[in-house]
Amino acid sequence: MSSTDHHLNLFPPLIQVGHAEQFIQSGKTILSTQSPLNQSYAVFPSARKGTPSIKVSGAEEQPIFFASSETSPSSERRLFIGDTSIIFAALQNLTNTAQSRGQEWLHSQETHNVIRKLTLDYVNFARECWIHTSQTSVQSQGSSQFSGDHYRSLYTCLALFAVLYVPEYGYEDAPVGDDLMEWLNVHFIEPSTEEGDHLSGLDHPWEDETFWPYLVRVTLRGLSKAATFFLATLSSHPSDNLRRLAQQLSPLLQSQPRLQSFEAERDFAYASHRWKDKVKALRIELDSVSESDRHDGIENWWDRLSDIVGILEGRSEVIRRVCEDLGADWREISVSWGVFADARLRRQDLPEVVSQVLDDMPQDPTNLEDMVHAALFSGDPTKALSHAAQLDPWLAAHMADLMQALSLIEKDPNEDSGLNIRDFYVLGYAQYLHADPALWRITVAYMFSCGETGVRSADEVLMHVPLKLRSVGSTTHGQGEQNGAGNLKSGDLAGVVKDINATCYEYQREEVRRTICRIAAQTFVQEKEYGLALSYSSSAEDWPGLGRVVDRVLQEYITAGPEQFTRYVAGIAPSLQALRMQSGAQGIFIHRLMFAVRYAEFHQRLCNQDLQDAAWDLVSMFQDGLAPKSWWAVLLCDSQPLLQHDGTLLFTYASACILLQHLEEVIARTDQGSCDEYLRILMSKLGSGGTTDALHALQGVRLALAKYFARCTMIGTGGKQILERKFIAAV
Amino acid sequence: MIQTGLIQSAHNDLLTDVAYDFYGLRLATCSLDQRIKVWQVDESNGNWNVEDDWKAHDATVSKISWAHPEFGTILASASFDRTVKIWEQTSFASTADSQTNGAGAGSPQAASGGSSRWVERAVLVDARGTVRAVEFAPHHFGLKLATVSSDNNVRIYECLEQSSLATWQLSEEVDVSTLPSISLSSSYSVAFATPTQTSATLEGASATLVAQALQQSQNPTNQGRPGMGNREADGGWCISWCKDRYWGEILAAGCGITGAIKIIQLSPSRRPTTLLTLDPSPSPAGLPAEGGTSLASDGDTPTAFAITSVAWAPSCGRSYHLIATGGRDGHVRIWRVKPAEEEPDVEGEGSDPKWSASVVADFDHHKSAVGRVEWNITGTVLSSAGNDGRVRLWKATIGNVWRPAGSIGVEQSEDAQDADVSMDENAAAE
Repeated sequence: MSSTDHHLNLFPPLIQVGHAEQFIQSGKTILSTQSPLNQSYAVFPSARKGTPSIKVSGAEEQPIFFASSETSPSSERRLFIGDTSIIFAALQNLTNTAQSRGQEWLHSQETHNVIRKLTLDYVNFARECWIHTSQTSVQSQGSSQFSGDHYRSLYTCLALFAVLYVPEYGYEDAPVGDDLMEWLNVHFIEPSTEEGDHLSGLDHPWEDETFWPYLVRVTLRGLSKAATFFLATLSSHPSDNLRRLAQQLSPLLQSQPRLQSFEAERDFAYASHRWKDKVKALRIELDSVSESDRHDGIENWWDRLSDIVGILEGRSEVIRRVCEDLGADWREISVSWGVFADARLRRQDLPEVVSQVLDDMPQDPTNLEDMVHAALFSGDPTKALSHAAQLDPWLAAHMADLMQALSLIEKDPNEDSGLNIRDFYVLGYAQYLHADPALWRITVAYMFSCGETGVRSADEVLMHVPLKLRSVGSTTHGQGEQNGAGNLKSGDLAGVVKDINATCYEYQREEVRRTICRIAAQTFVQEKEYGLALSYSSSAEDWPGLGRVVDRVLQEYITAGPEQFTRYVAGIAPSLQALRMQSGAQGIFIHRLMFAVRYAEFHQRLCNQDLQDAAWDLVSMFQDGLAPKSWWAVLLCDSQPLLQHDGTLLFTYASACILLQHLEEVIARTDQGSCDEYLRILMSKLGSGGTTDALHALQGVRLALAKYFARCTMIGTGGKQILERKFIAAV
Repeated sequence: MIQTGLIQSAHNDLLTDVAYDFYGLRLATCSLDQRIKVWQVDESNGNWNVEDDWKAHDATVSKISWAHPEFGTILASASFDRTVKIWEQTSFASTADSQTNGAGAGSPQAASGGSSRWVERAVLVDARGTVRAVEFAPHHFGLKLATVSSDNNVRIYECLEQSSLATWQLSEEVDVSTLPSISLSSSYSVAFATPTQTSATLEGASATLVAQALQQSQNPTNQGRPGMGNREADGGWCISWCKDRYWGEILAAGCGITGAIKIIQLSPSRRPTTLLTLDPSPSPAGLPAEGGTSLASDGDTPTAFAITSVAWAPSCGRSYHLIATGGRDGHVRIWRVKPAEEEPDVEGEGSDPKWSASVVADFDHHKSAVGRVEWNITGTVLSSAGNDGRVRLWKATIGNVWRPAGSIGVEQSEDAQDADVSMDENAAAE
């Protein structure tokens, strides 16, 4: 785990050893910027502010370094993070339910059992991961980010936490010694199996120097089977006394009362008492052995046996001395205390015992696992969390989460930061997760559980998740592009955006969702996927944005011509129908969309040589007030070829009058200085020419109109006929 | 802390700024060489490749800022040529038309395959001094940007037409050094919360070799440019927007050698006003004066040290704001700024609500001028960079005390022959 106070030197170095002054004197400094994607930094040498005139020789390289505060998780770590996040979510569910059902429910047996089950789930996952990484790291050295040993320490810490703080319901007040001894035996195996194997292979094992230490240790650990096995080997020992005592000791070891075997603690206490009496009897017998028979020529067996009986008697000075001799640590002393010295030791009494032990035999401050254990033993959950956070932010976050559910830590927020203990560590873990952008779903899930600050932080992370709307197109130019385009065109929300949308719905982050939709719309505009852009704009209820999309489509007419334009409009036309149904949609922007669609229809008809209908379309766009003023001039120019059409008269007299009215207005207003408002679009369509060209074009329209009126007059009723025909068609 | 990548040679001259885009997948870099480059990361291997490269200004490009992506792919660049330019990335299809070759002319395309091109959309020429910083406003305020230049003016521009990006209205122009406070009653309160670090001056015995070298180097630099005067060189001009929507458009700005930061409120209905001045100098009797700056701004009194960088943290639901400053005095400071209380003060005589601030952290670890301070996106990690050649990270503990949280340097590791070799291999492999 990267420690919090860590220094990294970048490569290649810019400052040679001992040459800091040269770097400074060259007028350079270092600047950096933080990436919004993950916990990484871009670092680069720069000119010192206010020294703009420094010129360095062009030959020098100007590097940018990238550094990250966290290593992004390897696959096995990711698996661990993902799997345990499911347990986290389950606990989250539980506490959320508790909020609606009251605190009492949270302390009920039902809830407690669930919390205990989830705690044991964490313990099991840590164990699995330990086993897995220990196996794989043997095969591929160094590929695992965290060694098996790291997960082993998570496993021991969580298991200890479970023993001390999450006992079975109703057992909070029960003696804890046996449970602790089990924990110790599972996690810190002593004596080793090899030693036992070695000794059992000997004819006279007591002649081996490891024999007595081994026997003392198995007694201390309550491993009665191993103890009785080796006591039995003493049956061939030359000393009668030892043979006899060993024979008496064996049943005592086997019959030490265990809490689990009793229904009521009272019975257990009574049994313990009676058993202690038997031990006392053995002590009397032991003391009666004469000094001369206490040594077998190899070892003073009596001293050793006396130690064993001393342990069973629960003599603290014996336990302590034996542990020191055996090289055992504070844990072993504390735990054996709870088994032999005070079999009825309660969880709440443990800290006092442990603090005495630690006074003589302190924990190892360089070993974080040891520190976490000591804090847990000492009944200081908060301290345990602070060490756990250094060991692995994962451990601190999940333990803090459990601790809060169990009311072990302060729930009230820190006045300054506004965060309580749990939220602080959970957010710390979320920040660690943010180092890997691929884990954003898990990152925000943890953040969303942390009050207002957490929710807002999650908003930031969500908004910065790359949408990858165009990544397919720009990174791989080959077939990927087509695939991407295929996906986009299908109109489905593309992968990541869909996920983010769903997440926003789940946590009710409408503001964020809209922002993301606006960004998506903008991206699709750049990609000329106007249909998708429109649907994202409307999903964001961003009506001005929707208007801008339509503007961009209309812009396509100017830059790419009518054919492209009609093709793009075909993409957006379906959304028009949907939008009209939507009540919230704002009129003016829908209006513009309608114009774009109608204008495209007009060009489609022109293209199909359906001139009569095209002419009718053109006039009706004016009549319905659909055409924006800036487009009038363009529409008028479009009318010119229709006016000049040789065959039938395409416009009625009245229609031609409408065209003339609009033409007059455009020209008059342009004269009055509203040139930009009326001629802007036409000017950009015509290109470089400016106002003059535009006006010239409109003069052409005027001429065409004049000629048209002349034709109308000559034919007389021609216009009317058309009008009637239209009416019939309409009816 | 690990190194994850390297661009060996980014520009032909020293870089002046590097800015990540909204998603951290692209980088815009600018340099003394007057060019801007845009880089894209290849996510499969973490390598950065040049996407575009063009000559942007006629002098050093001092700062660069990305607009929020809901407005498109837009950059603003500030320069010593006294201009700010707005650039837009256009896709290849539309570059064919006539109006979009502004930047393209005379700027050879880099190895971009011609798939995109950055087009100059607007040039903002109001500054009467070198432009030192530019930053787009938070997106909820629309497409706006703030600039600060060595004429001590903060200028706010608003884009009038988003589709073309051509028209930018100068909506505010205020001289930071003379901007008055919000009301006559002092809106100023500095309370020093328990500083977490004892400050030591640069002259102190603890000054490192680096710091000594710095001081030696300062004099010749100044003498070498008699025409410029010290102001351009010794001043600091910086801005940072308040990211929160709730409080309206608010900006932190520092200019010249005042050593103070002003919190400026912008409002459509009235002239910008100073809500608060963040001044770390131990206030002598009577301070602050109105405006809080008359002391230092009108002379080249070198008593105050310029603030070179200010960063307003995303508030992320906290009830207060965090503003970090870095200055030539070598200090990184974190200010905790409390907005005015909502409910009207019962006993107050109708005075405006007051913002208040206190220093919650004051670090002098750099032992030399600090050039940049910056927050991460959740406002939980502060990074600072100094002339000591180090980037330092800062985080709050559970007791909300700010502490060092690692550092990055560019020195050769004394013990690291092996490490160098392995890094070398990595770099080669990449």
